[in-house]
Amino acid sequence: MTHQTPILQIKNLCAGVAGKQIIKNLNLTIYEGEIHAIMGPNGAGKSTLSHVLTGKSGYEITSGEILFNGKNLLTLTPDERANEGLFLIMQYPIEIPGVSFMTFLKYALNAKRKYHGQSELNAVAFMKLIQQEAAKLNISQEMLKRAVNVGFSGGEKKRMETLQMALLQPTLAILDEADSGLDIDALKLVADGINNLQDNRRSLLIITHHQDLLDRILPDFVHIFSDGHIIRTGDKNLALELENKGYADFIKEAQC
Amino acid sequence: MLDLLKHISTPDISIPALMSLRLKGKNSYCGLPTQKTEAYKYTPFYAVLSPDMFQSASEVSHDSCHCHEQSLPFQSFELHYCNGCPHLHFPFIEGVEISSLVDAVAEHEIQRYINKFDCQQFPFAALNTACLYHGLFIRISKTPDKPISLIYHNKHSGAKNVRNIIVIENGVHAEIIETHEGNRQAYFSNIVNEIFIAKNAVLKHYKRQNESINSAHIALSNVQIKAGGQYESYTYQKGARIARNETHILLKEENAGAVVNSAYHINGTTLIDTTTDIEHLACLTQSNQLVRGAIDGHAHGVFQGKIHIEPNAQKTQGYQLHNALLLSDDAHIDVKPELEIFADDVKCSHGATSGDINEEELFYLKSRGIDELTARQILISAFLNTAFENITNPDIKEFLTL
Repeated sequence: MTHQTPILQIKNLCAGVAGKQIIKNLNLTIYEGEIHAIMGPNGAGKSTLSHVLTGKSGYEITSGEILFNGKNLLTLTPDERANEGLFLIMQYPIEIPGVSFMTFLKYALNAKRKYHGQSELNAVAFMKLIQQEAAKLNISQEMLKRAVNVGFSGGEKKRMETLQMALLQPTLAILDEADSGLDIDALKLVADGINNLQDNRRSLLIITHHQDLLDRILPDFVHIFSDGHIIRTGDKNLALELENKGYADFIKEAQC
Repeated sequence: MLDLLKHISTPDISIPALMSLRLKGKNSYCGLPTQKTEAYKYTPFYAVLSPDMFQSASEVSHDSCHCHEQSLPFQSFELHYCNGCPHLHFPFIEGVEISSLVDAVAEHEIQRYINKFDCQQFPFAALNTACLYHGLFIRISKTPDKPISLIYHNKHSGAKNVRNIIVIENGVHAEIIETHEGNRQAYFSNIVNEIFIAKNAVLKHYKRQNESINSAHIALSNVQIKAGGQYESYTYQKGARIARNETHILLKEENAGAVVNSAYHINGTTLIDTTTDIEHLACLTQSNQLVRGAIDGHAHGVFQGKIHIEPNAQKTQGYQLHNALLLSDDAHIDVKPELEIFADDVKCSHGATSGDINEEELFYLKSRGIDELTARQILISAFLNTAFENITNPDIKEFLTL
């Protein structure tokens, strides 16, 4: 693979919450088409990293910078980041009573089109696009009429996240697995969805603490994340090594 | 304090029945409710009403008014009121009788239906009676094939005092849409609807209140429901400087039921008051109320909900819930539930909540590219629309919250 363009560059990033430093001098560069996995124990700062990248409020950036497609990501609002091509696949997608998926998808899709100076999709074109993408993920019309994620099973929610990703065509998707694992079926769905999107241009950052997902989506790079920064980088074999040895050895090694 | 009786013009008319009704109203009207009037303690009309709201523009003739040419964005039989005066060119609707209030009073038959509430309890309705003149009598004896709309165009200052009598005969299913639109003029709207629902009849009553931000709007719907009859009302309020939408329902016979849902979205210094009083007078009657308010700026929401259950009204159900979204530090809400239950075999509940927009929901929308302002609007609409979930006509549902 030849990679010329960096999609994401994190340089000497320090960030935290309420005066507590969580991310400590983090450096990471992701090039076009690459799949990176960040693995680390609980409390390493993985969630904070995904929140800082997507622009969730409540985090302080004390130093460093993040460039996304060459733009200063930290000055962009969460919606601008999304429209620039960043997409967060949430572990627990939020339920929004009273807003139908159809309405939500239409707003999201048209927001992106507007951001890029395109006209809004008309109702017919929108329906056609949704139906085409929904069919691939086995999502029924009935599901699209229901309120966003309300009463959906874990697997259904993941299918809906994948549908959103397929519609919004991000350049970098972040899969935040920080809290817990997925069941096998949901895992397969997300993996297939992501693999279908891969055309050697889209990049992926998987934040996880175990390697199940990495059997299905083969990473180009695996980073071990501890105490707010990367202590070791390797290829997919590093994930397997980690699975056998556990985090403790790597952390001890890094401290020596 | 303002003497409103002096401010509302009441054309002299030599119909004894009308004059005697006016006198009755005048005798029961004891002036504006004050701070000490319990039913108005959160809603100080006395502090907001001003003489400029009552200064009538020079008499506006119907001929020069083109209001009736406007129409709603869906099919309905339209009845127009221009600054409180109904246009007297009525559409033909099979099985529906429409006449002006004055004509109906002259024909005596209306006596069964007019002023069937306690004037002492409703001071503004007493005032309305004292000034009786404008209004319509609508009797629906056959289910119409389209909704009937009552469209109020308020373009001039002055008082608008309107009384409508609406009678839904046995087994008829009817839909009425009431819409109040104003510009920026100062005026006073005082609307009383007396609604009679006969056996097994159904009335769906939709109301959209978008009055001038410099106006006062007060409305009373007094509804009497017979056996198996059903009244469903869905009200959306967003306009006026001060407004009260009051609903008084008498569930008079077995299996009568009512749904009284409403929503309001206010900003600035607007005060919106939703007051209900539902009397369960017979067994197996049901009522359901859901009120949702989104309050921004320095606006003020008021909900007073009363459920009264008579000793003989066994196996009744009465539910009431008010949910508020407080969107600014200065937003203000007063909620006063009142349950008077004298029967022992009933299911009743009331509840009230208040909160802000859910940050997680907001972030989820933003993380999908939707800007903050749009995302907030989506969430506010979703919150309010819950009150209108049961509306089956999608056109009306959309129109109501426009």
